[in-house]
Amino acid sequence: MKKNDMKQQLLQLGNGAHALATQILGNTDDAADAVHDAFARVLSKPDAYDARTGGLKPWFLRVVRNGCIDQIRRRRPADNAVDELQDQAPGPDVVVEVAQRDRALQNALAKLSAGQREIIVLRDYMDLSYAEIADVQEIAQGTVMSRLHRARMALKEELTRHD
Amino acid sequence: MTKQRQVDQHIGELLSGLLDGELTQQQRQMVKLHCEGCAECSENLESLRVLRKRIGDAALSEVGEDKWREHMNDKRVETPRSIGWILFIGGLLVVAGIAVSAFLFSDEIHIGMKFLIIAIYGGLATLLYSVLRQRLIERKTDKYKDVEI
Repeated sequence: MKKNDMKQQLLQLGNGAHALATQILGNTDDAADAVHDAFARVLSKPDAYDARTGGLKPWFLRVVRNGCIDQIRRRRPADNAVDELQDQAPGPDVVVEVAQRDRALQNALAKLSAGQREIIVLRDYMDLSYAEIADVQEIAQGTVMSRLHRARMALKEELTRHD
Repeated sequence: MTKQRQVDQHIGELLSGLLDGELTQQQRQMVKLHCEGCAECSENLESLRVLRKRIGDAALSEVGEDKWREHMNDKRVETPRSIGWILFIGGLLVVAGIAVSAFLFSDEIHIGMKFLIIAIYGGLATLLYSVLRQRLIERKTDKYKDVEI
């Protein structure tokens, strides 16, 4: 894929990638840095993307996700980054930044585990298929439906509690 | 656990699958049939549909395309790498030039020895060039390169 074509496609993915990174890192500034780094990494080696192995969207989101995990590892190298994902939640600054109408949703999302937030953003915000979600999260495709359903039910419960 | 209860639990996640269009025809029919006779699942399906729309319409990130374009065109992205390569190759060429000129204009090395050394290094460079060229052509044209054995 030509670099300029890739740039155009990546532009459309910026906000979704930022939303995903925010859910993982719990901070919009760190999330923007993660997306910026992912852009830099991908655009410095555009040939690394092979269209035959899947879409650019899940591939780029996997780069962003791995970058976020690396960032968490750098923050606290002694801990297992993936375990720490479970404890990260968007802080109050994130909640303040979102529009009023989405505040309840953001608050409810913050109550879920990182894995649940991630899978909801990937499916309902980024509109990825189950196969693509499995690819991004590096999990078996067969587990996506149950994980997603549990996450949605948990979110629904949180929203009901807030409303 | 009764069979009916197991079916009910299974239907739960299939509701998400139905909503996302990820079920087989058989599963779709089963869930639709179940929902026709089950008010709770039918209600659940509708609430999940509303929830999904709410998330899809939400502004979970409001950075904007222009900002991402700035990020992408940020010189920090491409400049360091380019500068690194220019410095490395430039430095290498200067050092190589000095070494070659010192070698060629040296009075201490016999002219025959100079030819011999030039032949050896020239031969090595030619071999390296031909191997690299062949590899490059193979990389571009080999349709089986991604086949895992």
